[in-house]
Amino acid sequence: MNREQLFDLANQWFEQKGWKPFPFQTQTWTAFLQGKNGLLNAPTGSGKTYALWIPIVLDYIQKNPDYKTKHKPGLKAIWITPLRALSTEIKQAAERVINDLDLNLTVGIRTGDTSSAERAKQKNKMPDLLITTPESMQLMLASKGYENLFKSCSAIVIDEWHELLGSKRGVQTELALSRLKTIAPAMRIWGISATIGNLHQAMEVLLGPESQQLENSVMIKAHINKKINVHSIIPDKMDSYPWRGHMGLHLIDEVAQIIKKSRTTLVFTNVRAQCEIWYQALLEKYPEFAGEMAMHHGSISRETRQWVEQAIRDEQLKAVICTSSLDLGVDFAPVETVIQIGGPKGVARFLQRAGRSGHRPGEESNIYFLATHALELVEASALRRAVKETVVEDRIPYLNSWDVLVQYLVTLAVSDGFYPKQIYNEVKSTFCYQAMTEDEWQWILNFITRGSQSLQAYDEYKKVEIEDDGKFKVNSRAIALRHRMQIGTIVGDAVMNVKYMGGGYIGNIEEWFISKLKPGDVFIFAGRKLELYRTKNMEVLVRRANPTAKAQHASWMGGRMTLSAQMSELLREELYAANTKKMSAELKALTPVFKRQRKESIVPNDSEFLIETFKTREGYHAIFYPFEGRYVHEALASLLAYRISLLSPITFSLAYNDYGFELLSDKEIDMQQVLDNDLFTPRHLHYDLQQSLNATEMARRKFRDIAVISGLVFTGYPGKVVKTKHLQSSSQLIFEVFKDHEPDNLLFLQAYRETFEHQLEEGRLLLALERIQQQTTVWKQCEKPTPFSFPIITDRLRERLSSETLADRIKRMTALYMK
Amino acid sequence: MTLEIEINNIAFILHNTGALYWPGKKMLLLSDVHLGKVSHFRKHGSAIPNNAMFQNFKKLDAVVKHFEPESICFLGDLFHSSLNKEWILFEQWVSNIRLPLLLIAGNHDIISPHKYEELNIAIHNEWILDGFLLTHHPETREGFFNLSGHVHPAVQLQGMGRQFLKLPCFFRNKNQMILPAFGEFTGTYVVEPQQEDIIYITTKEEVIRL
Repeated sequence: MNREQLFDLANQWFEQKGWKPFPFQTQTWTAFLQGKNGLLNAPTGSGKTYALWIPIVLDYIQKNPDYKTKHKPGLKAIWITPLRALSTEIKQAAERVINDLDLNLTVGIRTGDTSSAERAKQKNKMPDLLITTPESMQLMLASKGYENLFKSCSAIVIDEWHELLGSKRGVQTELALSRLKTIAPAMRIWGISATIGNLHQAMEVLLGPESQQLENSVMIKAHINKKINVHSIIPDKMDSYPWRGHMGLHLIDEVAQIIKKSRTTLVFTNVRAQCEIWYQALLEKYPEFAGEMAMHHGSISRETRQWVEQAIRDEQLKAVICTSSLDLGVDFAPVETVIQIGGPKGVARFLQRAGRSGHRPGEESNIYFLATHALELVEASALRRAVKETVVEDRIPYLNSWDVLVQYLVTLAVSDGFYPKQIYNEVKSTFCYQAMTEDEWQWILNFITRGSQSLQAYDEYKKVEIEDDGKFKVNSRAIALRHRMQIGTIVGDAVMNVKYMGGGYIGNIEEWFISKLKPGDVFIFAGRKLELYRTKNMEVLVRRANPTAKAQHASWMGGRMTLSAQMSELLREELYAANTKKMSAELKALTPVFKRQRKESIVPNDSEFLIETFKTREGYHAIFYPFEGRYVHEALASLLAYRISLLSPITFSLAYNDYGFELLSDKEIDMQQVLDNDLFTPRHLHYDLQQSLNATEMARRKFRDIAVISGLVFTGYPGKVVKTKHLQSSSQLIFEVFKDHEPDNLLFLQAYRETFEHQLEEGRLLLALERIQQQTTVWKQCEKPTPFSFPIITDRLRERLSSETLADRIKRMTALYMK
Repeated sequence: MTLEIEINNIAFILHNTGALYWPGKKMLLLSDVHLGKVSHFRKHGSAIPNNAMFQNFKKLDAVVKHFEPESICFLGDLFHSSLNKEWILFEQWVSNIRLPLLLIAGNHDIISPHKYEELNIAIHNEWILDGFLLTHHPETREGFFNLSGHVHPAVQLQGMGRQFLKLPCFFRNKNQMILPAFGEFTGTYVVEPQQEDIIYITTKEEVIRL
């Protein structure tokens, strides 16, 4: 069949469904059938799935004219999705095409949920189309004879590539692709991405810099301009608006009204604890929602989540309280309205969430923004502008992630073994490792074979062995087993499974939360009141609690997000407008707050850099307001604290949010000295920042993921209790050992580098310091905390920095005694 | 570096490494050394720096040189897990040190007692000495003052300006003292003292009574 005939086939199918292909879909079909690679820029729920399933199928028809009678065995295409929850939908889409076109192709799913029996079956006979996740892809590379499984593959699609790009799972994907390019040279590589600032870079990372694939590639944009209406929920009276508090429950009645007026509403919260609290609060105040309202977040069991998703589609639910767990995924047509509680911290995320509503043709998206504290209303106003001007942030890809490389090389050694010469070239061809030196490569090889760089007496390190012909191979079955289990580990805080005593899995919860509870304590999780019976291994056994019992909400540490550079700029512009006549509705509503702020201090304009100092029972506070976003403030806070600590011995506790940062101490900070010594200078920035990093614990926290991914810490597999006799150790402890005994270890150094490149964003920091240099510093000595300072000084998640001796500090402190 | 104290009118010296010296008996008490832990991890594919293993022996030599004891009593968890090549280093250390050694067996001490007997190390479950009860797990027994380990105690301190510190310590109450872990690659467990408990914090330089 020629292309025209193939297209007729596809067009007819669309017609049967009562659809008409979008231009971006046919463009993708053409490019794919021309043998091109590419990146498709299309939002969730736009029909992107058919943009790629169709040409994959057409390609098979073209190559196998007798496709109706004969079946050619072997894997044809791989579809990688970041969320295994989405795999069923993708499978259904593929099967629809296959069944209607009378093809006898099979579609299989391979994720962490796939049973071992099913996996074994797939190994014997691969499905024609395989849907999988980055982790499961790695696991397949860890099985013997994987080359045979993949060699017939002619296409791979990486769905939601923007989600993977800025993460280590993205690096995992880059490495898997580098291997597949060799095994299956005929394979086309396609990515699908929502709109992000660096789409071209996203394509380069996916296909490989200077690769043949990149040369023979195309970017296709969907150009679906749906109208998005952004509304702020502003109460009638602003006097009662809280200065802080991240729940936003004071607007519960307004939220209930919106839910009542709309067919289905998704209520997005930023963290899981907030999700739980909103769900409870709505049910308590509006019992009529019972049965029509559900909750959806990443810690709830898969069955429950799938039930909720189906119920949304079936229009059985008025409202779903959710977290980013519902950001992705296929259409939820009945959703008319979206409510965002608290700052979404990113325009791309906000747009994506807004886009979950109004999916029917001709409908508009409606998103309500609920500011949880007064200053967040400024963010609402900035967001509206961002949506109008489509200001979208970049996703920064990782560079030289040694931990992922260590994991990948051990993976290859576990399956068929590898020869470094060949793999070096493949690894070097990826975006992540393009700048890797031969020395660094050798270091990694030494690390996985010897566990260090020099051979030492009495060493029994065992992982990868070098065989006589130079092949790198894992021969120990125990090591291979542990490694395979580790690959699937989703890096995050240690989680424990929550189960009823009589059986029945409810979900998972972070270990640190459970460790605070005693048997008999009651907590609210997954919308239920549960009593802790006991914890054993990685399981938390619970029973239903008395409904009247006093309970605390389960909480999670993860998920603190920050404003992007572009968003911070919009935010500053909005705030500076507070001193002008051109105020948005949100800013006008904030008038009482600004009045209060001006009583003690000022609302700065674009030429002013505000510093406030005051004393409370807690100590001496100094608050700085660069309005640059959380990550930049983290860096600025530790930089400034470090520089001040050089003037005289002092100990700081640091806190930050998107608006500013605080240095808190038990001694008064000599602010005049700070200003006289020009401590905000961009000079020696890199060196000072590095010094301040050594003095704080940021790198130590980064090291956690690195230790898990590189296999230094064995965590076991989520949900499975594995016997690890005498092998438990915290990554913190390992960090300390490296610090004392092997400070030049590349994995140890990576923790510092990641803090710089990924978290501290040194480039942004430099720009911020230069901007501050241009401004006039306004130092206000206040009597008491101002509205601007309030959300910062009440934040409990803090960093510490000290230049005093331990002995001096201990003398001024007391032990935390039993209550 | 050290701090002299009295327990039931008997003098003891605390060392910042976590060692406890009993001058009256010229005996050094050490708990939770966890020798072999680094090797155990390495043998299972976790590349903990090898140098940490040598550090334990350096520390042992340093405290022996400082106190010049006539005997050493280990309060359990001397060797972390099953036998590995660090045992050879331990054998060499034992033959160089030329002192009577005694081990109160801990939960980690799973190596066959014969291996200790070969080195002339006596193993006991507990030891009673002049009104002191030496054990691995902390224990209260009428009429005795208990010296033990196992817990790896640390204490959390707080001060003005939201300052917090977590430091390993000797944890003492009326009839008991728990020693901090001596070993290099060992963690800590935060204990919450009562008002009447005494805490001796150990830092890299000194021992400080709170």
